[in-house]
Amino acid sequence: MAGHQTSFSQQLAARLAPYIGDFNAQMWIKSVARRELGLAPEDLTVKHLTPLIDGLRPFLQTLMGRSTAENLLQQIGREVH
Amino acid sequence: MRFRSLAAFPLLYAVIFLAITWSLQGGEMLAPFTFWQRILVRVLAAAGCFAAVSCFERGDHLRNAWLWLGAGTIVILIRDLLRLFPGFAPQGGDPQAQIVVTALGILSNLALLGGIWMLARSWKMAAITLPGGRSGFGVVAVATAVIALTVVGPGAYTHLQEIARGDWSALVLVVSAVVDIITLCLITPLLLTAISLRGSLFAWPWGLVTASQLAWLLYDIAASLRPGLLPAGLPLPEVFRGLAENYLFAAGMAQYFVIAQVRRAAGAPVLRPASGEVEA
Repeated sequence: MAGHQTSFSQQLAARLAPYIGDFNAQMWIKSVARRELGLAPEDLTVKHLTPLIDGLRPFLQTLMGRSTAENLLQQIGREVH
Repeated sequence: MRFRSLAAFPLLYAVIFLAITWSLQGGEMLAPFTFWQRILVRVLAAAGCFAAVSCFERGDHLRNAWLWLGAGTIVILIRDLLRLFPGFAPQGGDPQAQIVVTALGILSNLALLGGIWMLARSWKMAAITLPGGRSGFGVVAVATAVIALTVVGPGAYTHLQEIARGDWSALVLVVSAVVDIITLCLITPLLLTAISLRGSLFAWPWGLVTASQLAWLLYDIAASLRPGLLPAGLPLPEVFRGLAENYLFAAGMAQYFVIAQVRRAAGAPVLRPASGEVEA
């Protein structure tokens, strides 16, 4: 079970890394997981996808603009679901 | 490959510029060649900035940043072109024309500072974790501030003394120097944001903007050297000005290509800058 949970956060980080870098992807998932959900990254599951994406939104919107960030988050949401 | 080519372009341009100036041997063609290549790099920089503007929507933070940078570049381009007219030339005798040139110089500097300021504070807006933490940021910030003050400070002080003696034409030089000091200090967040984004698509525009600012630092160093220190006929400040403007062009184009690539990856329509239309 733990392996599956770890793979979810890793899967999400892997999808984000080409856009924001591996360092930022790992840091963001860790930060949003702790701040918004009170969880460690390894405890994340697919049911946490929506709050994770909500937490990532301001970051991506600053870097790539609102509509591009929205499209990317929807795409990532579809891929890791 | 496209991004590497963009990164290599300013260096290639500098080599060609040096080769041509060397071949001119300080002759009478050197001044017009230097002037018109300056216009060329300003036009390229403006084109890069507006390409970047075109890939964002109204209200997006980076759209505003690139808009300020593009506006500042256009204003300084207009000032340079005005210099072609006798009244606006550096030795021109028309006081009103000189006021216009001074005002354009100040406006341009402030617009460029606004753009760099907005880019530099993006990490805070996006809550990006910068590498090295607070202490790393502090060390790089202090080092950059010391370099900026060492390079630009003495010139700024000299120009302040000129104003104190009633020479208000030095005002633009003081504003320019103060803007240079602040802008050079902003290299720290730009550089650390680029490092933080390393390995990703977005590292390219941030890295290239940082390279542009570093080239301005080299320009300031070259411009502050005593004339006798440089070989005759070698316009070193122009080399670094060209590098700075071309890196800004490359950064703007990289920004455009990165957003286009993300939009494609996300299955969204890709904006075409010329028409504003979208393609699937």
